[in-house]
Amino acid sequence: MEAYLVAIAIIGAIYVLLTLGLTLQYGLTGLVNFGHVGFFAIGAYASAIVSMQGVPLVASFAFAALLAALAAWPIGLVALRLRDDYFAVVTLGFGETVRLAITSEKWLTNGVQGIPGIPRTFAGLGVGLPGALATLAAITLVCVAAALALRRITRSPFGRVIEAIRDNEEALKALGKDPARFKIQVLALGAALAGIAGAFYAHYITYLSPDQFIPLVTFYVWMAMIMGGVGRVSGAVVGALLLMLFLEGTRFLRDIAPDAISGVAMASLRLGAVGLALILFTLFRPQGLVGDYTRR
Amino acid sequence: MFGALLVAGIVHGLIIGLAALAVTLVFGIARFPNAAAGDTMTAGAYAGLLAHQASGSLALAGGAAVAASGAVSLLGYLLVFRPLARRPVASLLVAAIGVAFVIRAVLGLIFGHQQQVFQVPLAWPIEFMGLRIPPMDITLATVAACALAAAFGVLHLTSIGRQMRAVADDPDLARVSGIRPLRVMIALWLLAGAAAGIAGLMLGVKTVVSPEMGWEGLLTAFAAAILGGIGSPAGAVLAGLLLGIAQEVSTPYVGFTYKIALAFVVMLAVLLVRPRGLFGRMEGVR
Amino acid sequence: MSLVVRGITKAWGGFRALDGVSFEMESTGLLGIIGPNGAGKSTLFSVVSGFIPADVGSVALDGTSLDRLGPAARARAGMIRTFQVPREFHHLTVRENLMAAAPGQSGEGLLGLFLRPGRVRAEEDAIRAEAEATIDFLRLAGVADTPAGRLSGGQKKLVELGRALMAKPRLILLDEPFAGVNPVLIEEIMARIRDLNGRGIGFLVIEHDLDALSRLVPRVVVMDRGRVLATGTPQAVLADAAVREAYLGGAPA
Repeated sequence: MEAYLVAIAIIGAIYVLLTLGLTLQYGLTGLVNFGHVGFFAIGAYASAIVSMQGVPLVASFAFAALLAALAAWPIGLVALRLRDDYFAVVTLGFGETVRLAITSEKWLTNGVQGIPGIPRTFAGLGVGLPGALATLAAITLVCVAAALALRRITRSPFGRVIEAIRDNEEALKALGKDPARFKIQVLALGAALAGIAGAFYAHYITYLSPDQFIPLVTFYVWMAMIMGGVGRVSGAVVGALLLMLFLEGTRFLRDIAPDAISGVAMASLRLGAVGLALILFTLFRPQGLVGDYTRR
Repeated sequence: MFGALLVAGIVHGLIIGLAALAVTLVFGIARFPNAAAGDTMTAGAYAGLLAHQASGSLALAGGAAVAASGAVSLLGYLLVFRPLARRPVASLLVAAIGVAFVIRAVLGLIFGHQQQVFQVPLAWPIEFMGLRIPPMDITLATVAACALAAAFGVLHLTSIGRQMRAVADDPDLARVSGIRPLRVMIALWLLAGAAAGIAGLMLGVKTVVSPEMGWEGLLTAFAAAILGGIGSPAGAVLAGLLLGIAQEVSTPYVGFTYKIALAFVVMLAVLLVRPRGLFGRMEGVR
Repeated sequence: MSLVVRGITKAWGGFRALDGVSFEMESTGLLGIIGPNGAGKSTLFSVVSGFIPADVGSVALDGTSLDRLGPAARARAGMIRTFQVPREFHHLTVRENLMAAAPGQSGEGLLGLFLRPGRVRAEEDAIRAEAEATIDFLRLAGVADTPAGRLSGGQKKLVELGRALMAKPRLILLDEPFAGVNPVLIEEIMARIRDLNGRGIGFLVIEHDLDALSRLVPRVVVMDRGRVLATGTPQAVLADAAVREAYLGGAPA
């Protein structure tokens, strides 16, 4: 039971990191990033691959963050020139292209066979509970640091500018500030968070394959952000926990009634529930379950 | 070899073109890229499959595909997109993803996830100028040509079609005229749905029918719509053909999985170099 | 020291929104632009401020050409515009709106933010004090902590003016500052503009309200269908037959 709780806490924390990244990008800045899973995947594979070449995990995690942020750079350059709707399409395409590249570049990623045997975080403590607890402590620490950094940003001149971008980009230009510079930084920072989340994921699950990085993952994160209240740092945490409740709840449902609901049917039910949640929240509660959209 | 790929590319391109037509009409008139367009295609493919299994007639399958996709498309508009018409575009984008997921989930629950195929009789390819063309390709190309003729007939010969094009040509007009008349919007979503339905049916006949098929074709449709110029129906079809041929001809070199990546690269290149596409109106995309 | 606009032409398809528009003003002066709807006034603003590229023509401020600069760079060159429909940052409070406009904040860089928190805090204090003074000056103290999206149209116009002031411009381009503003507030805004002009800030003002404008500016440019019809004192141009024809449809004022 403890092992189970620790496991879902770790996965939940991974989603917290992802949701914090998206909160920075969409919630605060208004960038409609539909390719979050691409940065997550880049981080996961980057850290897994270099760590299996003997690079220490601390360095591989940093490499994951850096590579994800670098991947955001060209997307950012495109973003500067595009309206919201085109940006959404481009990022959606980016996420899919990353997955296709992972599927195709077998020499690097082992394609659909995936990469097994990725070194575990805190492997020195063994595969049991102590190692998992240490991992949980580490990722919790990273989450807290990220949340505090984000909170610092929202209350700073930088935060004021990115919220101004979300509210009215043209007006900001009229005041002599280039939205481009800020958008690139926001994209890179959000991507770095996703990259670190990916690294944690890789070294916790210890196995990676392309089908773990389907677009649905991006929209799990969107759902978490919307449920928690768009644009709120605390909302990102609440939303990610609600998401875990949903994911584990549906799994639990299947565990108690394996005959009634087949695996594929459950996958469809989950997909439908995510879709319905996105629709209903957008229609009826754009401010989320708890939040007031106008204030953080 | 090249000739065969070219023929395959034309049929594939007609499918993309029809899907891109659905995307570009909605993008041009309702002002957002509808991510549910792909799954609307899938709905048409399954409806066509059922009709074909029951009757063996491809014509009836086409009718069923049009009816099902048109209905799905219209429902999406009335239940979700219309209430959101005055919200920021991000709301529409997110809701469209939601609609896409719901359609796919329902199809998955009803039909399961195993791939299904249209049982079409095998036939000897027809020799034409040294090319061996499968008769089914000719049938499909004819179906697509008829569907396109019908769509362009609606757009150019009916008053409601002219209103649609007027709005697609001039977004300012849409803005000034405020909320578009319900009639025009219903016609728009029905037409876009019908085009997606035929595209889904053709894709199903050419490949396999599965709940994921439409979503997988979505990016290519977006790319063609952008390449053709948002709001330009003729551009979308032409760009679809170009992209279809490019994808088929390049497959031996870049491999099957990079087909979609090719569409992504084309889309990026167009957005960076010539954002209004080949035939688009003068409009900033920023 | 002046704003020099020369031969601006801008066409959309076959429609010439601006057709060889030229005018000059002291960059510390007050100049009005009037004209009927569709005369091209707002388009002219967008071209001068760099939001829309001109097909032909040039803009120079105090001897420096602005032609190759984008809107943000033109703003940094000392020319800040407002918008006909106010573009407040609606989720930010009035105070935050003003503070966001202050130039050269080191806290706008992520490095500065995390590595030099002391300096950022000191800057913030200074900017906050300045915003406070501007808020008082514009009589916005009552709504200083209200999200700008909840203000009335007239108050939003004041917020835009306040933001423009915070950006420390030499010249402010005001697009219909009196539209939708109640008469009491109009007098108030005019008093502020005169006061600021007295301190050396120039104003180029588009206005539909001829009466208000003629009390504010000594000189106006009259536009019609993308062209400059006349330039002169409000009284002189109003007496002009062509202007009366275009602007007032020949009817008595």
